[in-house]
Amino acid sequence: MILRILLFLWLAAGMVAGFTWAPVVPVLGNTTRVFYFHFPAAIVTTIAFGWSMVHSALYLARRDLGHDDHAAGAAELGLLFCIVATISGSLWARAMWGAYWNWDPRETSIFFLFLIYAAYLALRAAIDGTERRARLAAIYSCVAFVAVPFLIFVVPRIYFSLHPDPLLGQRGKPDIDPRIMLVATWMLAGVTALFVWLLSLRVRLGRIERARQEF
Amino acid sequence: MSANLTVMAVALLVWGLVFVYLWRLERRIKDLERK
Repeated sequence: MILRILLFLWLAAGMVAGFTWAPVVPVLGNTTRVFYFHFPAAIVTTIAFGWSMVHSALYLARRDLGHDDHAAGAAELGLLFCIVATISGSLWARAMWGAYWNWDPRETSIFFLFLIYAAYLALRAAIDGTERRARLAAIYSCVAFVAVPFLIFVVPRIYFSLHPDPLLGQRGKPDIDPRIMLVATWMLAGVTALFVWLLSLRVRLGRIERARQEF
Repeated sequence: MSANLTVMAVALLVWGLVFVYLWRLERRIKDLERK
């Protein structure tokens, strides 16, 4: 309970700091604040899909349905954070580039990522039988994750993109005001903790559902 | 009140509502686990 309240205060403090304490980037103006939601959502999307792949592999190795709950839950949450990153990015794009959607390499990549994991959920919904569903979904998840580093890290660097590069300058140091970096990292830690909480709720629900089916 | 503070207030309100919803959901899950 204390951890939950701490998480609430942590993220609330991050938002207040982002709006009142951290400076704005001159070119971006007030839209700088979108960064504190967009960046953590995008990173947590990658973490969630990675988590889903790890538990899918563990399921294939051990055949423990608890791993399937983790894999499914992480994929669902990854998709949710992917939607948050896409919507916040698209609002930002409207303000900076003049249109909500520009088929920029980053936008196209995240759209493909969305489709890949939406197909994962569609696959799960289409298969009857817990064991069979878990096995086929685990294989799909392991194969699907191969595309994640490619779509997130490779494609946007091959093609010209309007999206700014990662926030590191040529000497590998953050090329941004340290206060902005601090708030962004603070928010990333909070959103990652939120993901862990949401995942634990989803896994517990999966366990209850299975126990009821067996009963 | 500036637009910035309005957006911040909305963000805090939304986060508060999400938090309360999750808290209640967790309590419900605990009840189900006990049964």
